Amino acid sequence: MKAVWKFKSLYIMMLPIMAYFLIFSYYPLVRGFMISFQEFRLIGNRPFVGFDNYLAVLRDSSFWDTLQNTLIIGGGTLVVGFVMPIVLALSLNEVFSTWFKKVTQMIVYLPHLFSWVVVGGMWILMLSPDTGIVNQILKLAGAAKPIGFMSSSDYIRWVMVLTAVWKEMGFTCILYLAAIVSINPSLYEAARIDGANRWQQVKYVTLPSLVSTMKVVIMLNVLSILRMFDQIFVMRNGAVANKVDVIMMYTYQKGILEFKIGTATAAGFLVIFATLIITFVTRAIIRYDEG
Amino acid sequence: MKTNKKKVVSSMMAVALFGSVVAGCSGGGGGSEAPKAGEQPKGEEKKEERVLKMMSGVIGGKTPEENTLFEKEIERLTGIKATLNKPASDYDQKLLAAISSGEKFDLLQISKEKMNLFISQGILTDLTSQVKGSKTLQDPEVLPSGEWDQVKTKDGKIYGVFTKFQGGTMPIVRADWLKKLNLPEPKTLDDYYKVLKAFTEQDPDGNGKKDTYGLSTAGSYELQGFFSAAGLKQRYVEKDGKLDVPYATDAAIPVYEWLNKLYKEGILDPNFATNDTGKMRNLFLTDRVGMITYWDAWVGMLNNTRKQQDPNTAFEAKGLPGVAGPNGNYMLRRGDPDVWVIPVNAEHPKTAFEFIEWWHSKDGIILGSLGIKDQDYKMNGDKYELTQAGKDHAQDHGVPFWYNKKVPAPFGLLPGVKEAQDLVMKYASLELTPPKWADAEKIINEYMFKAIMGEMPAADAVHKMRDTLKAQKLID
Repeated sequence: MKAVWKFKSLYIMMLPIMAYFLIFSYYPLVRGFMISFQEFRLIGNRPFVGFDNYLAVLRDSSFWDTLQNTLIIGGGTLVVGFVMPIVLALSLNEVFSTWFKKVTQMIVYLPHLFSWVVVGGMWILMLSPDTGIVNQILKLAGAAKPIGFMSSSDYIRWVMVLTAVWKEMGFTCILYLAAIVSINPSLYEAARIDGANRWQQVKYVTLPSLVSTMKVVIMLNVLSILRMFDQIFVMRNGAVANKVDVIMMYTYQKGILEFKIGTATAAGFLVIFATLIITFVTRAIIRYDEG
Repeated sequence: MKTNKKKVVSSMMAVALFGSVVAGCSGGGGGSEAPKAGEQPKGEEKKEERVLKMMSGVIGGKTPEENTLFEKEIERLTGIKATLNKPASDYDQKLLAAISSGEKFDLLQISKEKMNLFISQGILTDLTSQVKGSKTLQDPEVLPSGEWDQVKTKDGKIYGVFTKFQGGTMPIVRADWLKKLNLPEPKTLDDYYKVLKAFTEQDPDGNGKKDTYGLSTAGSYELQGFFSAAGLKQRYVEKDGKLDVPYATDAAIPVYEWLNKLYKEGILDPNFATNDTGKMRNLFLTDRVGMITYWDAWVGMLNNTRKQQDPNTAFEAKGLPGVAGPNGNYMLRRGDPDVWVIPVNAEHPKTAFEFIEWWHSKDGIILGSLGIKDQDYKMNGDKYELTQAGKDHAQDHGVPFWYNKKVPAPFGLLPGVKEAQDLVMKYASLELTPPKWADAEKIINEYMFKAIMGEMPAADAVHKMRDTLKAQKLID
């Protein structure tokens, strides 16, 4: 307590932050948790129903369908979204022309700044079967008929994965480029003296130096797998909804469209629990705490 | 020091637990228990203050500033001091957040679908006796008697009163293209095929390019006019207490095959699955497509938009009744009505009902359509004159059309609307939308698109659709 008293001014400075988290994060979380055990009515009393809402979610086949979609699309985004920025960063690192490097970096970073409403709309347009640029190119390449990428259940999950990766690739690439810049040049020098060529320098110096950044990127991406929403909301359509609706779409449907707040909150907390488990498992697998 | 630390930690834990218990016990919704549905709130005997707190999605001004003027106009015309909450977007989310956080409203404007949901939660005031005792609302000239069936519950109760006339949807054709290509109005599926094919192949816009489509839709948004050929109603039907989806029956197969033929031959817009209604309308307005499936009101708006761009345009949109079924009947879709409802915790329910009655009077209708006096329109003697703001607001402040026959539209109806509305009144009926519709819709859409786009033979798609709906207990 003496220490607390000694640094009281610092503790007082912490109070607004603590109040912020208590009011805007923890209080709603506790309220939400309570609601997930209630039969929710918009007006009036809300009787406790135990685990009924959780059981309703777990017994709902559409919840499991959306979970499957989440894992497929999220898993795909995680894998491709992990590899592509590294490839891009390593490629850009090999470019000697500074202006070309900077322009490319800016171009690949730009999509990160736009909302999914813009990016999604743009891709819907580009993938259109009649006027879309992708089908025009395929036509020039000799494709017999246009492909309805956005309405075909064979392509749509790939579209979701690749557009998600495309949007965030430039941003993640910057993290890697920053890490590459901070690699000690003497390591490359030593490698060159040992006779390493460019590829061997990448393999034995650059990549091992990026491991801690890779771990951060993986953790950030894992945390966002189950929270996918904006992209799906913008890019889905009736023809492919069954293939792309993810868990957050399920909570949106139950909560906002059907006003079943108890069920939606229970599904939301299942997502939180699942995220916690996935995060701990990932931390253990990648040995996040070991440098 | 160690003991002190323990004390601090345990005190914090106690505070956190206490907070959780308080939060959990508060029950939400303002803390007080709401009266049961149908019960009149206490204090009704007392003279009620003529104050009204409302929330609406479309009724009101077009900007926050105009909303304030809207409130003042209500007060000028009725003497009721109104507060109108009209969110600019995401109405359902904001409505949900406001009510569940305990905010009390006297009047809400919601769709019939939401009304059913609120009824099931027991949070709406039963208005049956008030509606039956209301001279204004019982006048068939003000609200046609038959229309009440749309909002009645199974046990005949009324919880919501119409805010406006809600139209329906239908195929809308470029009548000028029909004339130009010398084609008669289509009546059967074969006729429709011939017309749509001609629209695609015979250069109806005369630009020398083959850049038009016969038909466009926004997803499977409105195909009722074509499924009418097989006598099939969209969404659900209830027969002998059992729920069924007509689009998932064998009778629907020929219609899917017909749509697939359109898609395969490039007559149906290839983007129909990803189109939203805006894109569909734009295709129609920019001479790219000869037929769309949309609302009656839009017949007039489409005609008006083109007329504004070019007063000499030949453009003519016209509503069609679709295809007659095996028994000779047409089957169109009526839109779910929007209604005024009074929540059970309303503090001024009498004033709210008074407002509902007034909303159907001449003054109420003019406010909901033309808008606010001296802002949207001016009076020149007894003639209405729209201001520039009024012109921009297109005579729609939540009520583009109304039931009351005693109040004629001050500027008449836009071209083509009257005929389209007549088709709706003659052939359109409401859909049955049970609570699990959102889940069923996904399955229906998936196989519907597969059949139309030829990813699956129509018969297989229908059987798979039916099997999946059954397996998920979405049909009986």
